[in-house]
Amino acid sequence: MIELKNVSLKYGEKEILKNVSLTVQDNTIKAILGPSGVGKSTILKLMLGLIKPNSGKVIIDGTDITRMKETELYEIRRKMGMVFQGNALFDSLSISQNLGFFLRENLKLPQEEINRRVTEQIQFAGLEGYEDQLPESLSGGMRRRVAIGRALIFKPHMILFDEPTAGLDPVSSKKILSLISSLRNHNNLGAVIVTHIIDDVFNVADSVAVLYQGEMIFDDVTEKLHESQHTFIRSILSDKILEL
Amino acid sequence: MPLLFIRSLEKRLNLQLKDFFLTMQEFFLFSLRTFMAIPKTIRYWRDVLDQATICGTDSIPIVLVSAISIGALLAIEVGNLLEDFGAKTMLGRSTALSVIRELGPLLMGLMLSARFGSRNGAELGAMQISEQIDALRAFGTDPIAKLVMPRLVAALIMFLPLTALSDFAGLQSAAYMAEHYHRIDPGIFWNAVYPRLAPKDFVVGFLKAPVFAVIITLVSSFNGFSARGGTAGVGRATIKGIVVSSGLVLIANFYVSKIVLENM
Repeated sequence: MIELKNVSLKYGEKEILKNVSLTVQDNTIKAILGPSGVGKSTILKLMLGLIKPNSGKVIIDGTDITRMKETELYEIRRKMGMVFQGNALFDSLSISQNLGFFLRENLKLPQEEINRRVTEQIQFAGLEGYEDQLPESLSGGMRRRVAIGRALIFKPHMILFDEPTAGLDPVSSKKILSLISSLRNHNNLGAVIVTHIIDDVFNVADSVAVLYQGEMIFDDVTEKLHESQHTFIRSILSDKILEL
Repeated sequence: MPLLFIRSLEKRLNLQLKDFFLTMQEFFLFSLRTFMAIPKTIRYWRDVLDQATICGTDSIPIVLVSAISIGALLAIEVGNLLEDFGAKTMLGRSTALSVIRELGPLLMGLMLSARFGSRNGAELGAMQISEQIDALRAFGTDPIAKLVMPRLVAALIMFLPLTALSDFAGLQSAAYMAEHYHRIDPGIFWNAVYPRLAPKDFVVGFLKAPVFAVIITLVSSFNGFSARGGTAGVGRATIKGIVVSSGLVLIANFYVSKIVLENM
């Protein structure tokens, strides 16, 4: 379970998050919805301890990670997988090297086990035959699936997606969303999805939090979003995509 | 009106000073973490070897070109000057001192600042912009131990032989020009070189190699890690890394010479 309690964050003079509280239960999909640049991706980085809040607490599975040292955080981070908006694949490594990279780096597993897990993720992502290709030779959807495979390779409890369908064509978007749903349904994996596309929320999320001007203006099950009377939520429900 | 101007100037100066000291603090912590990661060298030996190839073997051509050209030029110019005093036979001595103490290591440092430093800045900057460094952290790998420490260890190992190579090539080209331009017998040239070189001349020259390795690697890598603002940000970080490290190499060159020569 991931909890953010009264988290505030400033970049210089700019206040990014104001007293934000949020809970993500295990085995559920939580969407964080909001316009671009509002601090949605920042929330994911806070959850991983990549940045520290100015005030408030970040709690992962009951452990307060807010003031933990970088070296202490590594174990916590391995409980979560992260899929970055730009995928953050290592561009000089092949697909299979990308998938196996962190297993080689961080776990002392035998080579056979690494190969087995890499093959498993290659099959899961439907990338058979592309093992030795570099990321640049793949399509956007395929790269995203490699990034998801890399995030899954540690067998995390929770996976964090930063704009999982951004920049993808409708077919690839649909594939990625069904992949996310299947992770929850078949692998009992929880997920946090940061997005500005409202259809993605209705397609996969169990609950949704709406971030607007640094504040959480809605946090409930997805179906209740239609009941909100907040002017911003009313406007996004009619426009569907938040390109602000 | 002048009061308002002074106040705004004061505020701007305050902000710039604050930024400067914060950056210095970050750089200090970054450097400390890099040095503390050195015991992990064995774990990252493949990365150290890769970086040793990049900063060592691959840098040999540029180090040779700069050393040969400066050695030849020095021999011609100093030879012309010594001829006026009838002291052309001292060419070997003066060239050897200049090359071994100063120009060999300095040119190597500046060339590596441009070649190895720019590569570090651009590569790490691109990794920062594309969130690859965040990905390393997110999946539990220390990016400083994985990316910066191998560069530092490789530079510390490789800059010494490169300095020796630079000295050797510079002296050989000076000897060649002495023989073919100034018509000085090679025996006279080398006789003025070897017996008169003292250990402190080598200490000055070779002490600069590790100092330059630390400056170039840490400054360029820190700037790469600090890159923000897309591809233009990578460009800015790379340039800043080269400019600052080259400036620091020049300053360090002066102080290492001064301190060693005054104390040996």
